[in-house]
Amino acid sequence: SRSTSLPNKESLGIDPQDLGYYKSNVIKCKDGSKKITKQQLNDEFCDCPDGTDEPGTSACPEGKFYCQNVGHIPIKIFSSRVNDAICDCCDGSDEYRSNANCPNTCWEAGKAARGKLKKKIETFKEGVVLRKVEIEKANQAYAKDEADLAKLKSDEKMLKDLVQKLKEQKEVIDKLEEERLKKEQDEKTLREEKEKSMEEATEMGETQHDGAVNNKQDESIDSHDIAVESGNDNRDDREAASSQAVEQYIGEDLDDGDVSEIADTSPYESPKQDKGDSSTSEELSREELGRLVASRWTGESADQKTDNIGNVEEEHMDIDPLVTNEHKVSPSETEEDGAKYNDDDDSYEDDKDEDFEEDHADSDGSYITDEYENPDPADTTVGSSSSWLDKIQLTVQNVLQAFNFFKTPVNVSDAVHIRKEYDDTSSKLSKLQSRVSSLTEKLKHDFGNEKEFYLFYDQCFESKQNKYVYKICPFKQASQVEGYGNTRLGSWDKFEESYRVMAFSGGEKCWNGPDRSLKVRLRCGLKNEISDVDEPSRCEYTAFMSTPSLCVEEKLKELEKKLDQMNTRETQNRDEL
Amino acid sequence: WKKDEFRNCDQTPFCKRARSRTPHSLPHFTLSDPSISDGHLTARLLQSISSSDNDSAAGDAPRPLLLRLSVYQGGILRLKIDEDHSDPSAPSKKRFEVPDVVLPDFEDRRLWLSRVSSSDDGSTSSVYLSEDFEAILRHNPFEVQVRRKGSNDPSISLNSHGLFDFEQLREKKEGEDWEERFRGHTDTRPYGPQSISFDVSFHGAEFVYGIPEHASNSLALRPTRGPGVEHSEPYRLFNLDVFEYIHDSPFGIYGSIPFMLSHGVKSSSGFFWLNAAEMQIDVLAPGWDDAAAAVKGRIDTFWMSEAGIVDTFFFVGPRSKDVIQQYASVTGTLAMPQEFAIAYHQCRWNYRDEEDVASVDAGFDEHDIPYDVLWLDIEHTDGKRYFTWDKVLFPNPEEMQKKLFSKGRRMVTIVDPHIKRDESYYVHKEATDKGYYVKDASGKDFDGWCWSGSSSYPDTLNPEVREWWSEKFSLQNYGGSTPSLYIWNDMNEPSVFNGPEISMPRDALHFGGVEHRELHNAYGYYFHMATADGLLKRGNVKDRPFVLSRAFFAGSQRHGAIWTGDNSADWDHLKSSVPMILTLGLTGMSFSGADIGGFFGNPEPELLVRWYQLGAYYPFFRAHAHHDTKRREPWLFGEQKTALIREAIHTRYSLLPYYYSLFRKASASGVPILRPLWLEFPEDKETFDNSEAFMIGESILVQGIYEEGQKSVSVYLPGEQSWYSMRNGAAYAGGQAHKLDVFEDSIPSFQRAGSIVPRKYRFRRSTTQMTNDPYTLVIALNSSLAAEGELYIDDGRSYDFEHGAYIHRRFVFSNGRLTSSSIDLAAAPPREKFSSSCTVERIILLGMRPGGAKKAVIEPGNYETVVEPGPLVLRAGAGSVALVIRKPDVRIADDWTIKVL
Repeated sequence: SRSTSLPNKESLGIDPQDLGYYKSNVIKCKDGSKKITKQQLNDEFCDCPDGTDEPGTSACPEGKFYCQNVGHIPIKIFSSRVNDAICDCCDGSDEYRSNANCPNTCWEAGKAARGKLKKKIETFKEGVVLRKVEIEKANQAYAKDEADLAKLKSDEKMLKDLVQKLKEQKEVIDKLEEERLKKEQDEKTLREEKEKSMEEATEMGETQHDGAVNNKQDESIDSHDIAVESGNDNRDDREAASSQAVEQYIGEDLDDGDVSEIADTSPYESPKQDKGDSSTSEELSREELGRLVASRWTGESADQKTDNIGNVEEEHMDIDPLVTNEHKVSPSETEEDGAKYNDDDDSYEDDKDEDFEEDHADSDGSYITDEYENPDPADTTVGSSSSWLDKIQLTVQNVLQAFNFFKTPVNVSDAVHIRKEYDDTSSKLSKLQSRVSSLTEKLKHDFGNEKEFYLFYDQCFESKQNKYVYKICPFKQASQVEGYGNTRLGSWDKFEESYRVMAFSGGEKCWNGPDRSLKVRLRCGLKNEISDVDEPSRCEYTAFMSTPSLCVEEKLKELEKKLDQMNTRETQNRDEL
Repeated sequence: WKKDEFRNCDQTPFCKRARSRTPHSLPHFTLSDPSISDGHLTARLLQSISSSDNDSAAGDAPRPLLLRLSVYQGGILRLKIDEDHSDPSAPSKKRFEVPDVVLPDFEDRRLWLSRVSSSDDGSTSSVYLSEDFEAILRHNPFEVQVRRKGSNDPSISLNSHGLFDFEQLREKKEGEDWEERFRGHTDTRPYGPQSISFDVSFHGAEFVYGIPEHASNSLALRPTRGPGVEHSEPYRLFNLDVFEYIHDSPFGIYGSIPFMLSHGVKSSSGFFWLNAAEMQIDVLAPGWDDAAAAVKGRIDTFWMSEAGIVDTFFFVGPRSKDVIQQYASVTGTLAMPQEFAIAYHQCRWNYRDEEDVASVDAGFDEHDIPYDVLWLDIEHTDGKRYFTWDKVLFPNPEEMQKKLFSKGRRMVTIVDPHIKRDESYYVHKEATDKGYYVKDASGKDFDGWCWSGSSSYPDTLNPEVREWWSEKFSLQNYGGSTPSLYIWNDMNEPSVFNGPEISMPRDALHFGGVEHRELHNAYGYYFHMATADGLLKRGNVKDRPFVLSRAFFAGSQRHGAIWTGDNSADWDHLKSSVPMILTLGLTGMSFSGADIGGFFGNPEPELLVRWYQLGAYYPFFRAHAHHDTKRREPWLFGEQKTALIREAIHTRYSLLPYYYSLFRKASASGVPILRPLWLEFPEDKETFDNSEAFMIGESILVQGIYEEGQKSVSVYLPGEQSWYSMRNGAAYAGGQAHKLDVFEDSIPSFQRAGSIVPRKYRFRRSTTQMTNDPYTLVIALNSSLAAEGELYIDDGRSYDFEHGAYIHRRFVFSNGRLTSSSIDLAAAPPREKFSSSCTVERIILLGMRPGGAKKAVIEPGNYETVVEPGPLVLRAGAGSVALVIRKPDVRIADDWTIKVL
């Protein structure tokens, strides 16, 4: 209820910490523009353009009014809210001269806020522990990857040497072979013509046969890689298909010149035959024309149902049988989260991310990416490297030793052996090199100050929102999946706002709009979980993700301090009462 | 813009035919039997029979036409020419006369003509027009002139070049093919060609203005034909929904007002043709008629219309504000809006759901930016069925509106004329059952395509249909609506996606057998009228309606605001918004604006800020954006830009007392809120062709900034008195151009010396909370240290002001003394009173030397207050640039005097 007497002019709206500033009889405007007397303080006339002299009234546009909010947190409100007949301070102190009836709600609100803060602190406490574990794991994984990389690099060097040796050897053989062939040819020319032709035929056959054997062996060794590669190819196909779909779609945007043709000749079948017997082709073409013109404003395909106007995404969905549903998908349960895109601004405060996800279901939307789940069993993996590399070294040595350079003609089976070893080893080298480069690529990323996001590299996170499933793979890409349709929302760009936002950019182009992009705002939670995917601006997506990685100890201390303050005030208030 | 989609003059037979004629090439029309009847002058017009073949008259002997001249108070001559239906050979179909546009009480102001004077030789007749003017009819060839009495110099004349033509309705004979085809659409034209054309000359004119709506960089109408004109289309008046219209073109867009004003150093005059069919108007460059010597100081124009009758109004002026008031006395003045409607509006296609609405609303509060209205575009409906809500996105519309209104904010929803042809949709069912739709040429309900898919259009020409439509807005009928909900009529040209030129076929049929071709330009007018009437009824005629319309016609100002449609986010469109809005103001549509930021495309932050800075002065101030654009709420471009936009919006809110007073003045007299400089400085030729600067009322001049990164601008300040920068109080001499630095924080604006502008320097969430806030008076002294101004206040909502419930003050400063006295407009004593406890908290004196005053004495009471140096605006760091009378604390409603010493 409102206090019956007007509040004290000399403290009205003033932050207690600032009371000293207003003590003297002559008060300086904070912007240095002027000096005022005490009588001018809160006298409903703005003397200091910066608002210094009217903290307790609405007279200065740039003023701030301090509400004590005993029982809750004190806040500063814009002076535009003072006596505007709307209750802004929970203690009602901002409406001391208006008709508004502003009951003091600080006690209840404060209690609720403290409860919320406590809950948040609990989450943070747990989160901080989880984060430590995560970071430890991350650093182990990082160290291991680094070590692996070093090992791979040295293996690569060794393998390179071997390949080089084999190459030289092969070249010698090739040369000898060539010479031999030449010599034989020369000899043959001396022999009878008939015999020569027959012999040549035999030789050729043998060579071809050798080649075939080689190929066969390579195939069996490479089979896994081929599968992996073909997987990649498929992904490319998918992209190709989707861009093709977009092109097709663009193709439907007929030039003005074509419109009349459609109207005249109606080359289309109507998708909707709901007009009964009156639907002549003439009328259908009119409908087409209507849709077509509408599509200029909406950017939609002209031949879809009207009710779907606005859902352009649907149009860009292309069928992708390669996306399987084998991954765990958790429905998002974070609907009540009020924080939205407009929290993107700099003033983003932890007060707003209070709806962290500690009480969410066990099923989390994350899974390990294919590469991680099915690690490459090929013989280039680091764990078994010593054995396979040793083996190769041994083999090569044997081959090289066994080979007698001075024996001419060259033993055919030896030559085959050398060639085979060369092919095998160089294919292993190239695999190893690709492994080196992918690992190098991975380690190049910025994983946070404590590498807290290292384990995100090989994970994807999913969230279902209405009919769409959003799939977010940090450091890689993000997409929106509906049924078999897959829309690329963007490729990894970077962390923003000191690792509080993951940005993906350069996704599929929007009709009449920008390339799709996604920003994922991170906040402390006990699980890695995506929620609240939104599209505040056309084709610019936002999402929230809770993760222990954001449960920073300093923040926890801050929160605890805040709670302490609130509790202290509460006790004080009780004492005062 | 798809050029091929719209007809040009050559593809429009009546236009092509009329435009190819040379002066006096037609058989003369001769006037005969002038006589007085019922206070009118009536006569017959007959075309001399000629052997030359004129395709409109082929085979038929022309019937005489009926001419009627009438005279109205205030210097208005009305000329009507129609077919003579008493003639037995006349067809049964009557030509369309546009109803409900001329004010109902206009006829009361008719002067009863009692005699017609003939010249000595009998070649002319003349009638009294006003104290200073008379109308002259020349008989052969027929010509109408308005001229000053006793002079031979006409001010306006019609058919001086013998281009008058009138194609009469005919019954179709066998073998005749009148059909017209355009891009796969066929117009059956059952009555054959029926166009009308004539020339109108404005004498003593330097420029002509008006005939919106066209996108243009130029306020003055550029010639479209004659020497020096390359190829140009005539100005087309045909209401069309043009996708991505270009910023400078004579092609028709959303609205049509066939009213033209001329202006010269000595006088102004005006001409209005009440006709709702397609019109094409040429402004002819001097020498167009191959006259040996081009007449200086005369502008000839050529008017063509596809159908209808001649129903024209000549306005004698002679001052430009007289012309505007004369036009307003025919078509009316703007409806006085509620106060919230002249504040800032936030719109987007679309605020998606209730959560989105709440977060945008919260965004304004977080950033301390005031706004008054949040808008919902088509997506809020259930499948584009107007008067319904998407149940998933907007499950609790009433609660949503109440939440906004708890902060004094309103909501606007869109209601378009295309009604979804869905048997389960009650509006469609009722309209079908009652036969309320526009019919196609075959008599079936017209079925066209728009947002709602297959749709029909209510025939709001029919008063019964308007009545029915207006009831749809009652709180009971419009589910989910609350008293704080207002309406937006879009697509009412009408837009028909699969129709010819994206509109309705010309042979569609309206109430009374009226063809759409005859009515087209007024379709949106009647729809707007019915909607505004609905809101009026909803509020028991106590709540002033707010309805924004895109299409408009002469008289639309009585129904609400309009905006310039789907503009684009580029600097050219920013620039053309000013001549477009000024033109609308000159032709009655004072309450208008352009979409801040540009509808299509994404404005660079600099452009957006400049647009807010300019748009803050538009009479209708709304930001809007296409749904493919990036979000652009004011706080999305970084702290600094947010501050600039907040400042721009604050500027408007601080000027609301001044704006509201100007709206009242416009609603009383028709004089626009935004005015071309020449309206205030009619003799200053420098101002006649200025399309970049404008006056707000009589006291403020604004120059837009239309270029990216502009560092300086030349501003012409008219008149003999100086001007004070509203940014820093600096004085600039009048009657010359000044090269000024351009700042990021504002566009150049000046208060005229000799004026007093009432303002409010406190900012709130919305206008609702400003009601009791005190005033600041800014006095700009002229060279004799004098100034004057006005302030009008009422409850901002109801019609009580019509019964005297208002405060209207006049402030005069002279001899060091400011007095406030009451202006009483009403002749009768007020039945109701309006009171206000508001005070004046500050009086700023610009143009008084520093130390020129130390204190002020206030009467009555004889108490003193301090006069001290102070800032012009309350912004941190603002220096002292003026003298400020501190806290006089007089009540705004009272009489008082303040003397500075």
